[in-house]
Amino acid sequence: MSLEVLIALLGWGTLVGVDLVSLPQMMIARPLVAGTVAGAILGDLDAGLKLGVIFELLQYDILPVGAVRYPEYGPATVAAVATAHGAAGALGLGLGAVVGLVTGLLGGVTMHLLRRINSRIVGAASAALESGDPRVLVRLHVGGLLRDFLRAGVVTALGLAVAWFVPPHVTGVLTPRGATVVAGAAVAAALAAGTAGTLRLVGRGPNLAWFAAGLGGGVVVAAWLR
Amino acid sequence: MKPRFGRALLRLFAVQGSYNYERMLGLGVGVAEEALLRGLPADGSASPYRAAVARGAHFFNAHPYLAGLAVGAAARAEHDGAPAELVERLRAALCGPLGSIGDRLVWAGWLPLLSGLALAAISLGAGWTAAVAFLVVYNVGHVALRAWALREGWKHGVRVASALNNPILQRGAVLAGPAMACAVGVALPLAAQFLAASFGAWGRAVIAAAAGVGFLGLYFLPGRLTGLRLALGFAALALVAGWIWQ
Repeated sequence: MSLEVLIALLGWGTLVGVDLVSLPQMMIARPLVAGTVAGAILGDLDAGLKLGVIFELLQYDILPVGAVRYPEYGPATVAAVATAHGAAGALGLGLGAVVGLVTGLLGGVTMHLLRRINSRIVGAASAALESGDPRVLVRLHVGGLLRDFLRAGVVTALGLAVAWFVPPHVTGVLTPRGATVVAGAAVAAALAAGTAGTLRLVGRGPNLAWFAAGLGGGVVVAAWLR
Repeated sequence: MKPRFGRALLRLFAVQGSYNYERMLGLGVGVAEEALLRGLPADGSASPYRAAVARGAHFFNAHPYLAGLAVGAAARAEHDGAPAELVERLRAALCGPLGSIGDRLVWAGWLPLLSGLALAAISLGAGWTAAVAFLVVYNVGHVALRAWALREGWKHGVRVASALNNPILQRGAVLAGPAMACAVGVALPLAAQFLAASFGAWGRAVIAAAAGVGFLGLYFLPGRLTGLRLALGFAALALVAGWIWQ
């Protein structure tokens, strides 16, 4: 991975991380988009699409309502694709998923920490905010935005560092068979999370029939295409 | 008013920029509203402008795409000289409905609907174009919703509740659920086939069994077991199994 590619991935991962909550929520943070663009940057669209689909399914397990805590799969997908690019075949897919999951966990923890830091800063500036000074308000708001940029950059950098460090060390330990097991586990977990998350969203009302109809149609198309 | 409206709309894209547990979206809403408050008298530290800016930054929580409705309505109410208590009550009253409608319409409707269609398209071989199409179509709805919300809020002021009865909004929320359920339903088996294509018959059978066990765990142990925990658990088991099974 050249320095230019690394910088491009770092920049992309940071934008993706900021997009999730802060700016502008245009859904480049969705793993499908984050993974596809990361794959394009690396010249490995196949890895980008596959890991994008895996993490998109995992994303279905999350409904970002209120102040709920959740993992951050955008920069995680970027790190996952970088890992997969550095290790060939099934090893790449499985290892990429593992690195992505750890990065996603880290991203979720940092988001919670950032919100707590923001709360402390806003609490301390309460009196100044009550004065109605717009400069104080804008300064606090922009400060929060900049902290999220920094947070997203750090998470992406850590994910990319793991992506750079891990594959050479694991290649000798896992055989192709072992790598296939890890890749299969990632696919199984993604499918389970995608199905369970969708069913929770669909509920037991009339939408369940629509889900069943769609599922049936999908099974027919998948069988027809085999 | 148009430049101020445009500035408020642009600022709304960063409404969650300083998200915190103290005031939630409050600061972002305040910053967006400030652009619309500039016509108010601003002389002195107790001016109507400063009082309105302070109120605008109080606690607020709703769906970020619909926060503009509260921003526009509160700013209009301030310009119309509504009492401070009424503006505060208006903001508080909007939190629940804007959160509920936005979550149903966007997080549980528009977003998973388009994500499901993109997943299905990628699984059928559409490649990167599916991701680009998802991004473009999603954001047509996204930007239109943000702009509509701010405009309606400004138009109706304290009577903004009538905007929530907009037939497109109501009908959209009703239709989004079934469309999303159907689209993701189609996408799941296609995505399964796409991801499992490189595995042998035995491998596919094991993946199906593991996915079934994982699904049951996630569905019947909500809260205790999450997708991330399941995936990390599966990955840890698989790494050990892969290391042993040379």
